[in-house]
Amino acid sequence: MTISLLSAPSRAISHLRADDDVDRTAAGPGVIARSRRSPVPRWASLVGVLATWQLASTTKLLSPDLLAPPSTIATTGWRLAGSGELGSALLVSSGRIAIGLLFGVTAGVTLGLLSGLSRWGDALLDPPVQALRTLPHLGLVPLFILWFGIDETPKVLLIAMGVAFPLYLAIHSGVRQSDPKLLEAARVLGFTSWQRVWHVSLPSALPHALVGLRQGLGLAWLSLIVAEQVNSSAGLGYMINNAREFLQTDVIVVGLVVYAVLGLLTDTLVRELERRALSWRGAGL
Amino acid sequence: MTTAPSAGTAIGLRGVTKSYGEAPVLDGLDLDIPAAQVVALLGRSGSGKSTLLRLLASLDHDVTGEVSVMGTVSVAFQEPRLLPWRRVWRNVVLGLDGPEDNRANALTALAQVELAELADRWPLTLSGGQAQRVSLARALARRPDVLLLDEPFGALDALTRRSMHALLRRLFAEHRPTTLLVTHDVDEALAIADRVLVLRDGRVRGDHLVPAVSVHDPARRQALRTTILDDLGVTPDERD
Repeated sequence: MTISLLSAPSRAISHLRADDDVDRTAAGPGVIARSRRSPVPRWASLVGVLATWQLASTTKLLSPDLLAPPSTIATTGWRLAGSGELGSALLVSSGRIAIGLLFGVTAGVTLGLLSGLSRWGDALLDPPVQALRTLPHLGLVPLFILWFGIDETPKVLLIAMGVAFPLYLAIHSGVRQSDPKLLEAARVLGFTSWQRVWHVSLPSALPHALVGLRQGLGLAWLSLIVAEQVNSSAGLGYMINNAREFLQTDVIVVGLVVYAVLGLLTDTLVRELERRALSWRGAGL
Repeated sequence: MTTAPSAGTAIGLRGVTKSYGEAPVLDGLDLDIPAAQVVALLGRSGSGKSTLLRLLASLDHDVTGEVSVMGTVSVAFQEPRLLPWRRVWRNVVLGLDGPEDNRANALTALAQVELAELADRWPLTLSGGQAQRVSLARALARRPDVLLLDEPFGALDALTRRSMHALLRRLFAEHRPTTLLVTHDVDEALAIADRVLVLRDGRVRGDHLVPAVSVHDPARRQALRTTILDDLGVTPDERD
């Protein structure tokens, strides 16, 4: 009797504790996993949208002059790729992006490092760059046309500006955010000022710089698209504009898809760069 | 800043005063530390012990009085302060003169703290104790005449601390640098140092040699401990 009186509450307590544990595990990773697991595959709705689109086109509900059906877009894409038309347009546009990025990245990195590392640089460079940054750079198109005409220069410049500003900001703040404790240790350990920059400041800025580069790449593609709409005799934008004249909505969509794929591609490249350059952040050996 | 010290003196301070605003952190400090002595600097927070270490490390020049430090100085901080984006071995030798900045040198230094096998790891993958040992290897790789340690074991657990104490004693016996160890732990000071200095309100309030025999003489050790606690101004009911 005594035993049961004594043991009953203790059993109750241990029971409660056990329940607690079960609840905690259930509310912990279990719930997260459940909320992440979707009831249908995530591509299902996408396929649904495509199917509806195709159906609307076949039933003449959606005129091909407004939007071509997915099937036509796919065959047009295949045809354009086969004829070399898409390839040469792609080459021209990629060339513009490449040259624009070359100038933009060079300017962004150089200015960012100058203003981040030197107090003189910061005092002299940062105010004008910050002022320029507030201008919507795509709004500069009319001025650029007046200044540089309508061929390659204004396009490349727009792309360069698109990538340069985010990169500048990221590097500027990244360098300035270097851990003062690490800089102090470097001083005590006899680092030369060059070694302090190379081994402390630059690596501290790298994660920021890569985020800035990804943002900048997004803006660079956007700049290319806008610039190519203005006046082009070659490239993806030319292909799209040309297609508009003849109501070829299938060609327009193919062009847009190619833009999207290219953007995705460069983003993936930077991510891969991030993974390699920042491997020290992971637990890998 | 540098004056001729008496022979055999590694660190000499004369009337050193440092103040932030009104209150002096160091108040006319006089101190001589002979070469190869291991000195523990005890004091409560705000007693000026870290300030003293920073000025000996030339991290703080804004003081009055005379400071002389003989030879090369190396520092291990409270946090390991390793560069997370450089491999462990690079961290050990970075900043050394050109020909000394090599892997073999790093491995030798790491072997002394028994971590040679971690040479190629990233610092973020190390435990706290391992990172602190790497930091120590980095300080020793510079073969300093004067070694400054700023509460290097403050963040470690008790067991790791004890093994670090043993490691330090062995390294001191081997390298014989003049050492100033800043700590707030009386037992740590007694375990490592030849001499214990107590800093209070910017002045030296206690200066005790730790006899080597006291390790095996609990009564004497306890007496010294009590004296030091008195110097620190620890009231009896604050003692464990």
